[in-house]
Amino acid sequence: MFFNSFSFALFLPIVFILYWFVFNKNKTTQNSLLIIASYYFYSCWDWRFLFLLVFSTLLDYFSALQMENSKTTKQRKFWLWLTIGINLGFLGVFKYYDFFAQSFTELVKGFGFQAHPYLLKLVLPVGISFYTFHGLSYVIDIYYKRIKAERNFIDYSLFVSYFPLLVAGPIERATHLLPQVKVKRDFNFEKAKEGVYQIIWGLVKKVVIADSCATYANAIFDNYEAMNSLSLVLGAIYFAFQIYGDFSGYSDIALGTSKLFGIDLLKNFNYPYFSRDIAEFWRRWHISLSSWFKDYLYIPLGGSKGGMWMKVRNTFIIFLVSGFWHGANWTFIIWGLLNAIYFLPLLLRSKNRNNMGEIEVNLNISGLKTIFNIILTFSITCLAWIFFRAKSITEAFGYIQKMVSDLSFKSQYLNNERYNFELLLLVAVFVFVEWFTKHKEEPLSGKASWVKVGLAILALLALGVYSDYKEFIYFQF
Amino acid sequence: MKHFLQFISKIILLLLLVAIVLDYGYSYIYSKSTGRNKIENVVNSKPKKYDVVILGSSRANNHFVTQLFIDEGLKAYNYGMSGSRLQESALLLELLLERNYKIKNIIVEIDLNINTEGFSDGTRARFMPYFKSSEIIASYYKQILTPSEYNSFYYLPFYRYINYDTQIGFRELFFSAIKKPSANIQNNGFYPLHKIGKNMQYDLSDYSPKKNKDYELIKKLCNQNHINLIALTTPICENVKNRAYFAAVKNLYPEIHNYENVVTANNYFASCGHMNETGAKIFTQKIIEDFFKKQH
Repeated sequence: MFFNSFSFALFLPIVFILYWFVFNKNKTTQNSLLIIASYYFYSCWDWRFLFLLVFSTLLDYFSALQMENSKTTKQRKFWLWLTIGINLGFLGVFKYYDFFAQSFTELVKGFGFQAHPYLLKLVLPVGISFYTFHGLSYVIDIYYKRIKAERNFIDYSLFVSYFPLLVAGPIERATHLLPQVKVKRDFNFEKAKEGVYQIIWGLVKKVVIADSCATYANAIFDNYEAMNSLSLVLGAIYFAFQIYGDFSGYSDIALGTSKLFGIDLLKNFNYPYFSRDIAEFWRRWHISLSSWFKDYLYIPLGGSKGGMWMKVRNTFIIFLVSGFWHGANWTFIIWGLLNAIYFLPLLLRSKNRNNMGEIEVNLNISGLKTIFNIILTFSITCLAWIFFRAKSITEAFGYIQKMVSDLSFKSQYLNNERYNFELLLLVAVFVFVEWFTKHKEEPLSGKASWVKVGLAILALLALGVYSDYKEFIYFQF
Repeated sequence: MKHFLQFISKIILLLLLVAIVLDYGYSYIYSKSTGRNKIENVVNSKPKKYDVVILGSSRANNHFVTQLFIDEGLKAYNYGMSGSRLQESALLLELLLERNYKIKNIIVEIDLNINTEGFSDGTRARFMPYFKSSEIIASYYKQILTPSEYNSFYYLPFYRYINYDTQIGFRELFFSAIKKPSANIQNNGFYPLHKIGKNMQYDLSDYSPKKNKDYELIKKLCNQNHINLIALTTPICENVKNRAYFAAVKNLYPEIHNYENVVTANNYFASCGHMNETGAKIFTQKIIEDFFKKQH
């Protein structure tokens, strides 16, 4: 059941009505309904993997209690590592086993030996990377005594399996979400209205921007050998907007849906393509994952304590792990590595926290410099996206090589029966809208909201891609 | 909550309003368009007289050089449509007749398209703008579509444009509005292919011809309107597995003329199932010779 599907359009109002009109007696009835709805939502993908979700919930819940009841640090450590081991073990088996087995075979082949690894060829349970990290943050917080273990199993189950964030985040923190599920929610019209605006805007991002860009990006990436430089540059830009529209659109729908139930989720995107350097980009892109790695990997590894060498080492580690988190393929690892390399000059000059404030462009030299920095950051991000999108490293290098060596900038007719440049106007309008509303969560609220909602609906109906359906990219992670 | 329900009701109303306005706007522009495809060319046209009309898939569209008929003094048009099935050909014929076209001869390509009953989504899409305005189209699809499909197309405003957004969505509407000409309707409907194919082959091992209700309908319509129907198979390249398929077609429908072997040399084909322009000219000459010169 996708957020942009007809079945979700039926599911959401039913749950909403039951939640506010039938199960609104107290927080337990509210939470129980949301758990049932969440399990149903998850089982719509593959009910067989429901056991994994339930098991992960039980494991983290009991481990946290055991950790809190432990009398010695040794015992606490035991429960922590047991939980981390089992959680990552599941992730390893489902997501990474085949990759390691195949990579090992290639390595052995390089030395002239033959190996025939046993491959599991398992279907990746949807959302496993998200709810595993979700649960891990909870047990790590308990271990460091940042929070108390949750004793109410219903409340904890909802924290793990809450359907708006279950399959593709945002990766929540117990400190943020648990206090909200522990109280009865009362209906708040303003919050629900915000939620509806956010859902509509998320749909525009997904159905109009991401799916339109996907048609062109696919046509270009899948035939990159026959494409000229202009098409390949456009292909990278289209993919950049595809993945942004897709994932931030999904996050907007998730956040908006949750607001309908009176629960706020963590903001996941903050106009990342207007970033002035790569450090700022990572503070604005997939914020819940970046901050997760910062809090649960970078800082435990020593963070920036211990001098420049430690800082560089830890930065490279989190980017490589972040790349690997996305998928079991060398392309994601190279993507992570590339971002770490982009980060390096800022780190060495201690300028990684230079651009912390609002993005402003004035009509002077400083304004021009800001525009240049935004374009430069976007360009290097697009270059990295080529690795993220390509099926293999060879394909990514082939794409880049053709892009810089072909030097033909004529318009090309693609196999989606469109010209390569046709989508630029739509992308430009989208950038324009985002630029002038970047101080808000979505552009529809505020003055003349009905006109803006009308235009968004018009865009959804007239410009949306429906017949050539594209799944949310991050569901595969 | 009352405020929220009012707010949501307004959003739903706005959605409905936008859908109705778009539906009306799109349908209006498509009702004025004639230069983009053969279906709108028929729906939005005045009655015409033809000596020869050609129906079928791309194997008709790319194979019958209309100009050669015209050179012989025969008023002709190639209504073959790439990707279409006999279902769309039959509906197009119904539209031609409804628009009071006077047709003496119809050539219909019947070969690979009677392996299965079916329809082409891409061609069906081109009929959709006229779903509500044309009784012929509406009643034709009422028999074919499931009630829920039919009702969705008929009653849900703008649904059919969303469902077929690739073919009749905003881009096509824009081109229709600015009257951008399309190659589909140039050359009196004939679409020439120019290249010479390589490593051509076709596997018909799993093919077996079956009685086809749309072909039966075409026969019935021709009979009722006193149109001479010429049903034939068209050429295919030499390297074909199970060439006996064409004999089976003849066996099933004895009135069908076998022309699959008239042109077989590879240099006359752009792909195994589609002749290039040179091959199409040889083939069309042969058809004119056999059916139109010998008649006179």
